[in-house]
Amino acid sequence: MNDWRLITTWGSPPSFNMGLDEALLENLDAPPTLRFYSWAPDTLSLGYFQRYEDVAGLERAGAVVRRLTGGGAIHHVHELTFSFCCALDEPLYRGKLADSYVRVHEAIAGTLQNLGLNARLRGDSPLRSDCPDTGMCFHKSTPQDLVWENRKGVGSAQRRRNGRVLHHGSIKLKSSILDTRIATLESLKTEIDAAQLAALLLDTFRSQLGLSFEVGVPDVHERAMARELGTRYLDPAFLRRR
Amino acid sequence: MRPTDRHYLSSHEWIKISGDNAVIGITDFAVEELSSGNEGDLVYCDLPEVGRNLEESETFGEIESVKAVSDLNTPLPGEVVEINSAIEDHLEILSDDPWDRGWLIKIRLADKDTSKLLDAAAYEETLASHS
Repeated sequence: MNDWRLITTWGSPPSFNMGLDEALLENLDAPPTLRFYSWAPDTLSLGYFQRYEDVAGLERAGAVVRRLTGGGAIHHVHELTFSFCCALDEPLYRGKLADSYVRVHEAIAGTLQNLGLNARLRGDSPLRSDCPDTGMCFHKSTPQDLVWENRKGVGSAQRRRNGRVLHHGSIKLKSSILDTRIATLESLKTEIDAAQLAALLLDTFRSQLGLSFEVGVPDVHERAMARELGTRYLDPAFLRRR
Repeated sequence: MRPTDRHYLSSHEWIKISGDNAVIGITDFAVEELSSGNEGDLVYCDLPEVGRNLEESETFGEIESVKAVSDLNTPLPGEVVEINSAIEDHLEILSDDPWDRGWLIKIRLADKDTSKLLDAAAYEETLASHS
């Protein structure tokens, strides 16, 4: 089994965050990589095919960007963002697409259960956080979504290209002006920050998913790709492509 | 067994050659992966403009379900001569009939060499690795 590379970047601009994720997806020679990151300024990310006009209130976010992954919009503030990027023959992503969500979400659930939350996969029941027509990811749920307190708590979306996968995820520490009525970590007795949560998730990914990690950074090629690809995420034409 | 009158890519596109032209679509496996059998899970399909020249293996479109966005790749190079525009508004056609009514694009072939493509039996073998 391959060692996974762990890249952690806190408080980066949206063009860097999205450019680097796309560079990791495009780099066919990249080792399987897990990123933990956060955003500055707070950023609303649109799903790849979402219409700009279909998300109400996006002007209230500090910045707006379009993701490469699908799904609904997410307001990236008070959250831990993660991305898995690897070849589709990695055990974590081998097999049925829906099963890959289950594996990742069950591992996250393990961490959250250790913290005292009753986190579980949604199954067939609708949620209190389901709210049609806002365009927000956390307001629409599927059976594989991770929920607690009958609300969606993890936003998750994938892009598949060239036999590789990019899997974006967001775990909310607190709600925001745009991500309302959702499950967060605010109900914990002790406040936890993004770095602390990342460390706990790593422990679970090791024990539950059998992954091993080496702390790393993007290589020179990936950094150059990220800079070049990142310019697209600053382009209003790409942002408003739909 | 999938239809034997066409060739396949491991990324789940099929191509059916007829004279100088070919029709391209995606397999039932791809549709099932994206939709888990729920046709409502397919939400968007973006197809190319007629007249676009596609290189071998080039991405010609993208399809989104509630689970993932996936690229659509051409098995052989050629010029797009027709698109199935009905698909863009009626994605359920892909679930109902991915092999015939669910075709995505027609191209005028620039190269008919299928030696790098999979036949139905070889494609079935690649699917075994997904189980």
